[in-house]
Order: sequence, then structure tokens, then C-alpha cells
Amino acid sequence: MTDTNAHKIELGVSNNKAYVWDVDDVYLLRAKHHICGVLTGTLPHVSQQNVFLGLPLILLPEEVVLLLEKNLAVIIDDPKAHKQPTPSQLKKWNNARISSVKAQIAQTQGGGEKVDDPKVALKSMSEEAIRKRKEREEKRAIAAAAAKAKAITEGLVIDGVEAGAGANDIQLSSSTSNPIDERSSTPTPSLSPSIDPSTSKTPYTVNIPTDSAPSFEWYSTSESTYTSISEAKKAGIWTYPETLHERAKCGVFNDLWEKGYYMGGGIKFGGDYLVYPGDPMRYHSHFAATVHDSPIEKLRPMEIVSHGRLGTATKKAHLLCGWDDEKSEVSYYSIEWAGFG
Amino acid sequence: MENHPSYPVLSELLQKYPRSAGSLFQTYNDLKYAQSWNDLEVLDLSSCQRGAFRGRRPNTDTLLYVVPCSLSESLSISWFHKTFEQLEKPTNIYLAINSEDSSIVYYKLSPGIVKPPM
Repeated sequence: MTDTNAHKIELGVSNNKAYVWDVDDVYLLRAKHHICGVLTGTLPHVSQQNVFLGLPLILLPEEVVLLLEKNLAVIIDDPKAHKQPTPSQLKKWNNARISSVKAQIAQTQGGGEKVDDPKVALKSMSEEAIRKRKEREEKRAIAAAAAKAKAITEGLVIDGVEAGAGANDIQLSSSTSNPIDERSSTPTPSLSPSIDPSTSKTPYTVNIPTDSAPSFEWYSTSESTYTSISEAKKAGIWTYPETLHERAKCGVFNDLWEKGYYMGGGIKFGGDYLVYPGDPMRYHSHFAATVHDSPIEKLRPMEIVSHGRLGTATKKAHLLCGWDDEKSEVSYYSIEWAGFG
Repeated sequence: MENHPSYPVLSELLQKYPRSAGSLFQTYNDLKYAQSWNDLEVLDLSSCQRGAFRGRRPNTDTLLYVVPCSLSESLSISWFHKTFEQLEKPTNIYLAINSEDSSIVYYKLSPGIVKPPM
């Protein structure tokens, strides 16, 4: 596990949060290292979605500390790894961008004929989608205009405009406007002079890369890679663990991990972690765990009642994890409802 | 309290640990009279400044340990260590949590990571 020659997972750190952007690393973390993290990426148009999330994977700070202590990962100060590009690098990048736009426009304008190339077929599918969207927008605009007209005939005044004149204006604008022009979400060609202005009404896609490494020639991690928590702390890009409670959480997390358990966030059951005997996709958790900073930390009997009762109702035991900072040891107690009394 | 039939058995520990007298008395009465435990013994758990019990539930053979406490006191992980130590490390103990209205809830406490029953 501590083979230093092995591939080390790069954790991009920004604002004290660690992200994994490589799907192979996400797999490696989960399958080999028992580290799950949380996938947080949504589709740009569905930012409210909360299932079927994708990259990036966000790690718990305890997971980051563990991965660095076991020499399985390194911290990358991602913003710093983007150096000042040389003029030639910048020119190359810009040329690639423009040629991609040109290729897309050429393909769109040359569309219509059926081609067997799957890429082109995909393209025409998206054109079909655009056409349908256009139709929907037009319908919506007409409906909106009709609603406004109805409101006006019922004697209402819109935006301080006289009823009669307003109705004419609305009818006029809905019949002359081109819906595509009103939609700010549709990418419109940039005003770059290198593109033929005659094509400027053709939409194209701008691809925003999610990972830095393969996309930019000026990206270099050599001076912003940290192999230990203390180095990263010294450089000021990482702070966890700072307090006794944070040390206790790292200690407990590490101990449970070494015993072979998988840990997930415990918020659903009022604890610090949910403890799984195997991959959370395959197993139910057996325990909801709470971390106690020291052997003499006060523990109210009411906590035992509420944790114990909730755990029993959900077929889990509650795990009290007591951290001893002097001995760097964890002691565990499992709580269940007695079933009598 | 002195006239209660439970008093003679408990009197020594009630006087020795006045702070935990209430929960000791209530728990004993619950186990003995409400739950009809057999072979109920009173133990001196000096490390936690209180009495404890050992006995069998009706129609069972297993000896169980019960440690009374009040809902309003503060316990700790080291308190659990001391309890298990002095009771000679049973596989689990039952914590009898007493509230002011004399209702009692029992929770099973096991040292280590013990999987819940299926």
C-alpha cells in the first residue's frame, strides 16, 4: 500500500477542498483504497439534480489526510500550476479553438445530407434538437402574447402602455422576432475577426475542459505538488487537522479504514460517519459512528438514548468512537436498544 | 423509603452513594417487581460511585449486568472503561437510564465494534 513508485492520485486543492477530476482515479480510490468521497458534478442545465452526479469527486478532509499519510496521493495547488503561457503556446491554443469552431460551422452548414459517419449523425441529431427547441420557443412566445392580449382586452394596462397600442406592439414583435436571437443560452459566434462574418448566425459549441493537465501546454504541477500534509500546510494551501476535534476525526477515520471498513458521511443518521463492511453500493452500513475527542469528554445519557434508538430502528448499532490524543488510540463502544424495559 | 420491601437489600449502597440512590432504588424495583428478574444481586461499583446489579431475565440462563444512571448526569468513555473493568469485562452491560418521572430505558453497551443482530 505504501509503494512510493506507484501512481499517486492527484488531488486538486482549491479553498481547502480536495477534488478528483480523473475518473480512473475515482475508480482507483474506491476499488483499491476504500475511499468513496462524494460525486458532486451536475449537468450545467440541471444544477438542481441530486442523483446520478458526476465528476468532480469531493473528498472529506479526513480522506485527504489519510491518502497523504499512506503515500497514495499528492496535493496539487491547481491555480498555481497554471503558468503564464508563452505567446506561441497561446497562439497554438487559440488556433485550435478557432479551427474547432470553423469545423463545427462547416459541418452545420454542410448538413442536410445523410452521412454514415456517427459523429456527423450525432451532429444532425443535435440540429434536430435545436429545431424542436425553436418550435417550442415559438409556441411559448405565441402563448405568452395571447395571454398578454387577453389581459389587455380585459382592460389591464401592461407596463404603463395604453391597451390598444400595446396589443399591436406585442403582436408585431412576436411575428417578426427570431426566437434564436432572444435566447442568451444559445452560443452565438464570437466577434472574432478571424471568422467569416457571414457565418456569424450559425451556433456552435464551446467545449470547456474539466481537467487542467492534458488541455493546456502551460500547465505544470512540478512546483505546486505537495506529498505531505505538513508541506501543504507550510505552503498555506491546506489546514486540516487543526483542532483536537479534527485530529480525533482523522484518528478515528484512519483506525476504521485500517480495519477494512468503508466510511461515508453520517448526516443521515445523526453521526459523523456511516460505517460499511464493504463498498456502500453493495452493503448497508452496520454502524453510525460519532467521534468523541477524549476519554473524559462529557457524554449525556440522552445521546445514548437518541443514537441507540435511531440505530435500532434502522438495523444499525451506534458506535461511540473515543479518541485518546496522548496515546493516539481509539476505543469503541457499540450501543443498541436493550429490547426490554 | 425505609419501609419499602427493597430497602434492606439496598440500604448499605443507598447510604454509601447518596447521589445515585434514586436511580439504584428505581432500577432495582423495576427489575425485581416489574420485570420479575431472577437471582438479582446488588454489586458495589465503587469506581463509578454507585451500585450495580447482576441477574437473569425470566426464563433465561444468561447472567446480565445492569448499571443504573440518571438522565441528567454526565458519563464519558473512561466511565465505561471503569465500569467494564470492575465488573470483570462482561461481553456487554445494560445501562438503565432513569428519568425524573421514574421511567427507565435500558440500552445495551458492548465494548468494541459489535455488529447489530440481523
